[in-house]
Amino acid sequence: MQFSIIISLLLHTGFIILTVMGLPIFNNQKIDIPPIVQVEILEITEQTNVPEVSKREIEEKEDSEKKKEDVKINQPVLKPKLEKSDEKVKDPAADEEIIKPEIVEKKSVVNMPIRKPVIKKKDNFDPLKIAELIDMAKDTKPIQDVKDEEYESLDSTDTLVNKLTLSEEDAIRSQFLRCWSIPIGMPEDDSLVVKVKISLRPDGSLMKPPEVTDHQRMNKPSQKYFKVLAESALRAVRRCDPIKTPAVERYDDWKELQLNFDPRDILR
Amino acid sequence: MKNLIQNILFFTLLSITNAVALIEIDITEGNREPLPIAITNFFYDDVDAVMLSEISNNLSDVVEADLERCGLFAPINEEAFIQKNAAMHLRPRFEDWRLIKSQALVTGKLKIVDGDKLRVEFRLWDTLAEKELEALVLITTLDNWRRISHMISDKVYERLTGEKGYFDTRILYVSESGPKNQRIKKLAIMDQDGENHRHLTSGKELVLTPRFNPTKQEITYLSYFKNLPRVYLLNIETGNQEVVGDFPGMTFAPRFSPDGNKIIMSLAKDGNSDIYVMDLKSRVVTRLTNNPAIDTSPSYSPDGKKITFNSDRGGSQQIYVMDNDGRNQKRISNEGGNYATPVWSPRGDLIAFTKNFKGNYAIGVMRTNGEGERLLTENWYQEAPSWSPNGRVLIFYRETAANEDGQGHSSTLWSIDLTGFNERKIETPQDGSDPAWSNLLQ
Repeated sequence: MQFSIIISLLLHTGFIILTVMGLPIFNNQKIDIPPIVQVEILEITEQTNVPEVSKREIEEKEDSEKKKEDVKINQPVLKPKLEKSDEKVKDPAADEEIIKPEIVEKKSVVNMPIRKPVIKKKDNFDPLKIAELIDMAKDTKPIQDVKDEEYESLDSTDTLVNKLTLSEEDAIRSQFLRCWSIPIGMPEDDSLVVKVKISLRPDGSLMKPPEVTDHQRMNKPSQKYFKVLAESALRAVRRCDPIKTPAVERYDDWKELQLNFDPRDILR
Repeated sequence: MKNLIQNILFFTLLSITNAVALIEIDITEGNREPLPIAITNFFYDDVDAVMLSEISNNLSDVVEADLERCGLFAPINEEAFIQKNAAMHLRPRFEDWRLIKSQALVTGKLKIVDGDKLRVEFRLWDTLAEKELEALVLITTLDNWRRISHMISDKVYERLTGEKGYFDTRILYVSESGPKNQRIKKLAIMDQDGENHRHLTSGKELVLTPRFNPTKQEITYLSYFKNLPRVYLLNIETGNQEVVGDFPGMTFAPRFSPDGNKIIMSLAKDGNSDIYVMDLKSRVVTRLTNNPAIDTSPSYSPDGKKITFNSDRGGSQQIYVMDNDGRNQKRISNEGGNYATPVWSPRGDLIAFTKNFKGNYAIGVMRTNGEGERLLTENWYQEAPSWSPNGRVLIFYRETAANEDGQGHSSTLWSIDLTGFNERKIETPQDGSDPAWSNLLQ
């Protein structure tokens, strides 16, 4: 009797153990995944960002190597301080947005005199003579006359907007097509067109840094794609520098150009 | 005085004339080649050379591999570098980098701090505009350098494309081995570049359709227990596992809601399959579709307001979209052929799918209203696309047919980007299927 109870107990225990061990939870191996180790991130752009320098300025600086060395040495000085500060920047983009507008604002001031060549142009004319023309007719026609007279000596074509022939425009366009690396990752967006104004020297090199006409949009936090696109356009202009230009005799026609970088068809 | 006014008037008119006359040139095409970028070995001081020389090499190799694989960048061979890395923690000589056609440059400096911590200072430069685009310091443990590398890749990607990166992520998939009729299927997890590969289940039970919780280190998957498919939850940090609910029928295709608080799935009862959602806190189950046809593969839109799913209610398998409460069910696929496995893009703009037509299987995308269908890749058999967290790349699996002897069958993981040009095989130790991409690690 006792013997059979012991046997029964043992068998029951064995059965219970087998059942429990058979549950899926016991079948799983211990998971051995390396834990995600946290990384502390600090934003240092603000302290070390080097202001943008135009190409010409760099050329001037190249003459004095010593000065350049000083700049280099002065670069990373501020970094150790940062670590000690509690400024853990969780969203670097946010800080960046706050700081950059200042830089661009400065840039825009530097780039302001777009109409400079216009002022030069006025020296070619006798103001009094033109004043007489304006005085003679009171409607808008004289402006047309003035324009015609002004450009007659430069170009025989009648149109004022297209002073370059189609093939000349194509020649310029094809150079920028090759230089522009399109940021292909962008979503479709019909407002993504970047207009860049460039001023050229007679040899086709950039007279001053290229300027995005809507540069304020670059700094809006919601306009990340525009910023990336604008930067790619500016790189294209620099990469193409100097461009092959139409005849130097017609310098006045092409010394200022507006390039409209429009990726809409490509992203579609 | 009159003359003066006339003069002012004239010059104003002249400047307007000139502004109008500014020649505009439209650049509507460009170079679609990947952006040439140089990634230097990170600089370190001689005192740290023993500990850091290897990390320096590995770190730049990982960044380079990440950026190359995404198809948007062309890393330049280190041998072409003119400026050597000794000085790279300072302002670069941009002329040297332009000479080798590099448009962007990654430099950095490594340092040991607090005895055993790794401090990585990284900078991204625009070599043409000669300006710094990004500068960050990352501090972590020495053995965590691989994650730092992926984070740097993410920052470079984000700064140069405007889109968040997807390199600091993991991939979950079903690792397969054995002959076709006796496949052993284990749940496996790895970094997106195939490193740190681990198996999560032993292979005794069949596992299917693993999916990440978008908000924490948790996954859901389907596993057969006593020949009955059930939805499981597994915490990959603690290893805790549980069955989600005890349903009268079979549950399939589980997927988390964007907030991670619900699981949406299909439940088959009496030969009819419908979409159900379960609140993970209250465990309350709500039925969303009620149709005699087979409704399956539900997936939430990123805002959680809409759900896309698959149904054969119209006679063939098609993609439908409905509100999150089951209302306004509408068919969106209309281009012919059968559609399956719809997945809403994390960017919200597209739905990825598998399409079966003319005997082939294609992975494609369409807008959320069904327009603009694009097939990215076609093959003998492939399915189950899963989005990268930035909605730019899809990962899926592809099978090859077995020959008459039953040999030659394989199942491999692949990725393709939205352009359809950058298709890559993802190497796994064994065969793989049903991949799922995690969000960026927190």
